[in-house]
Amino acid sequence: MMKKNTDVLVIGAGLSGLMAAAKAVAQHKKVLLVAKGMGALGLSSGCIDLWGYQINQPDKVCTNPLAEIAKLVSHKPEHPYAKVADVLPESIDFFLQICHQNKISYLNTNRNWQLPTALGTLRPTYLVPQSMAVPDLAEVKELLVVGFQALKDFYPDVLITNLQKNTPLGAHCHLKTLMVKLANQELNANTLAHLLEKQAMLEQVISQIKPHVLPGMVVLFPPVLGEQLGHEVTEVLSEKLGCSVYEVANIPPALPGQRLQKALLHHLKTQGVEVIIGCQVTDAQITEKRCQGVVANSNGKIMEISAQTMVLATGSFLGGGLTSQSNEIKEAVFGLPVKVCPGKWSRQDFLSLAGQPFHEFGVAVNDQLQPLDDQGQVLLENVLITGANLAGCNYPIEKCGNGVALASGYKAGKLVGEAGR
Amino acid sequence: MAAEKAQVVVIGGGATGTGILRDLALRGISAILVEQGDLAHGTSSRFHGLLHSGARYAVKDKEAARECLEENMILRRIAPNCVENTGGLFVQLPEDNAEYADQWLAACAESGIPTEELDPRELRRNTPVLHHRVTRAFIVPDCAVDGFRVLWSNVNSARRYGARLYTYHSLTGIQQSNGKVTGVELTNQLTGERKYIECEMIINSTGAWGGAVAALAGIELNIIKDKGTLVAYNHRLTNQVVNRLRPPGDGDIFVPHGTITIFGTTSVTVNDAACTKPGHGEVLDLIKIGQEMIPDLENYRLIRAFAGVRPLYQAGNTAGGRSVTRNFALVDHQERDGLQGFISIVGGKFTTFRLMAEKTVDLAAKRLDVTAPCRTAEESLTSPVSEQWLERGKRVFGIPGAKKAADRLGDSFQRVVEEAEKNPDQRKIFCECEVVSLAEIVHVAGDGDSFTLGDIRRKTRMGMGTCQGTFCSYRTLGALSGYSQFAGNHREYLTKFLQKRWKGIRPVLWGQQLREAQLSSAIYCSLFGMERML
Repeated sequence: MMKKNTDVLVIGAGLSGLMAAAKAVAQHKKVLLVAKGMGALGLSSGCIDLWGYQINQPDKVCTNPLAEIAKLVSHKPEHPYAKVADVLPESIDFFLQICHQNKISYLNTNRNWQLPTALGTLRPTYLVPQSMAVPDLAEVKELLVVGFQALKDFYPDVLITNLQKNTPLGAHCHLKTLMVKLANQELNANTLAHLLEKQAMLEQVISQIKPHVLPGMVVLFPPVLGEQLGHEVTEVLSEKLGCSVYEVANIPPALPGQRLQKALLHHLKTQGVEVIIGCQVTDAQITEKRCQGVVANSNGKIMEISAQTMVLATGSFLGGGLTSQSNEIKEAVFGLPVKVCPGKWSRQDFLSLAGQPFHEFGVAVNDQLQPLDDQGQVLLENVLITGANLAGCNYPIEKCGNGVALASGYKAGKLVGEAGR
Repeated sequence: MAAEKAQVVVIGGGATGTGILRDLALRGISAILVEQGDLAHGTSSRFHGLLHSGARYAVKDKEAARECLEENMILRRIAPNCVENTGGLFVQLPEDNAEYADQWLAACAESGIPTEELDPRELRRNTPVLHHRVTRAFIVPDCAVDGFRVLWSNVNSARRYGARLYTYHSLTGIQQSNGKVTGVELTNQLTGERKYIECEMIINSTGAWGGAVAALAGIELNIIKDKGTLVAYNHRLTNQVVNRLRPPGDGDIFVPHGTITIFGTTSVTVNDAACTKPGHGEVLDLIKIGQEMIPDLENYRLIRAFAGVRPLYQAGNTAGGRSVTRNFALVDHQERDGLQGFISIVGGKFTTFRLMAEKTVDLAAKRLDVTAPCRTAEESLTSPVSEQWLERGKRVFGIPGAKKAADRLGDSFQRVVEEAEKNPDQRKIFCECEVVSLAEIVHVAGDGDSFTLGDIRRKTRMGMGTCQGTFCSYRTLGALSGYSQFAGNHREYLTKFLQKRWKGIRPVLWGQQLREAQLSSAIYCSLFGMERML
């Protein structure tokens, strides 16, 4: 059996796990990150949503999410933000700094953006990749939405129809759509993104769009403009078309979330973090209130990993951090108690503004992110819980998934970095 | 406006009603079928999809058992693409009454149902998913049947002989004069428009709605409405239909359909014929019983739950549930109530729909002085897709896609393949779970019989698979946004699509389906902000 020893073991490769590892290694800890799969970050929009709407008027977008989160913390002390709000601003700075170092540029305007989606809705978000930073649509005079005939996941007409209903456009704004034809066969977002990195292919795209471009035009694309980091497909398009080019959020697979994941993983590797993907933790050795180590199955190889501290960043149901049967929900690695609403896992209305209760299920923690039992007693002193593993957050409605992951991952990394000093 | 005319108006587009329409048409009687929703929107699509061998009824009702066997053989012959000849098993567990097996064997023999005993050790080898404690097992000629396909095949066959169909029309009035039916008043459910049809006869084949239809003629007809909940597993758990060898009860039949398995059912008397909401508690009860046969049942992935209302009829009896006969009754209201030209066909089961139709039309023909004999058992319902067209289909949709589309589309397959050959763009697979191409969606959207999104969904099966519409609901919005009747309002289109799926997912919301639901919620709320969309 292979044995590994480390200061910090991070379990999970989503945003919170990646941030925890990044912050821990920045404090000179030896960090090992193991994950069963690639994490849910790649499925996300790629933007960092902090908080979308006003607490008192949930149909109104809030401009300053940091101020709104400050209100939330006093209203709803069981919300994960209540445990991590103290580090929220510094976690944002840390994130922006890492992004900058790893050639993936995020913009921060200190307020919520309202970005168009492929459905033509607007989504409030806080930190935005340069490629998605669409300017205020009310100011735009010429808007062109470009789709690809081979891509079945993006429909310019749908976007435009709903955009007109969902946002006040300028009185003289012209909306146009265009379908680019590249190949007869069907292409998924990743294949298309890969092809667009090839100059000849990009030239074909440019030649089809160019005749429709007008001065000052804003051109929206599906989120497929390049797969690898450092391939500046958006910039090249923008330069050659002579207009502003952006990607909009869409259903997975979508590249902006994948690129962020790649950038953060790249960062960890350059900082000396060992990352093992395809590695599932199968058992934990617990004595008293401490986890001494875990057993993991890495693509068939059994490993014993001992660590001083561990960060549990395995996500909710989607990530596989929580598993469920008809009458029971479990935390998958340590079997920690999961806070649920008994008998009320879901609501009749799928799109209910109150959100589906099951999103809020998770592990209860204290301010040190240590897991608690229902009496409020710490269960494991050297295990910290982050991201979607945390109880009390309804991210699809609140628009705070990546924000909670960012701040809680950062805080866990900071706490484990300080430990043992 | 001059009223439309037909000799017979058939009310109810389920298995029986469409069977009657076909039988009438084949005997040269002019007929119109009226259905309040889409074809099969009621019980004919909300059952196991089991084509009984009759073995289930052998002990209690040999006559019914014999009828099942005969009809089973007929349907295999006339509609091979609607039937999957899986064969069936009856298995007994130690806690079941051992004597019942012998009684059942004797009854099957008497009804002419072939049975073959299987060594339990061999059963364990062939079907390891079943409990190792099975004491006795028998093979019977059960099959899986696609109810929806049978119904459309009935209508398409009837149309070739001039029959007409009005879906989304509900019966709002029955006109009579001097004790004779003279016509019907219909209301279009989508537009509110009224329509009148002059006719000599009305056949009420509305299943659980039978009492309500008879009431329009001022006649009392007592139908017991018995709700059964079923679940669909995302696996082909067994290759054969599996029945529990004991007196019929809840949760004792598994039916494999392609890659999934339907398991049920329960039996609860309800007041409303439209009560098709499956309950979480009922699902848990079902699984508990099912675990006696398949111990690992709770660990398999469920896709959704659904419920149908069985119409049970027993003249002058108020008993309900499983004690009421599954046999059918033909009610001649001329004799019973003195209303000429009104017939009700009630009770029965899917397997014997053709026979029910034959008996009903025998009576109708007698009253109408028509002597032509029934031909529905002889003439094929559908012609199978030719090898040549299947090959061409495989080249545009891939092998699984072509096979599935050929089964779903039957006679229209050729046209869809031709379209996809001409427009490579339409070869894209929009629903990956059920392998539905854009060409098929476009074809169905324009076939003249599709009025709502649900119609397209039922005909193509898009959104019916593992992801339950998470991906294809958005994609098909793109594909159908050009059709104002389906997707005029995008928010409404998506909400309806997702909400319909949610109704079936909620009672089975755990395990992988809860994970899938979180992904769906993440996409539509987190990514698209649809909960606040205008």
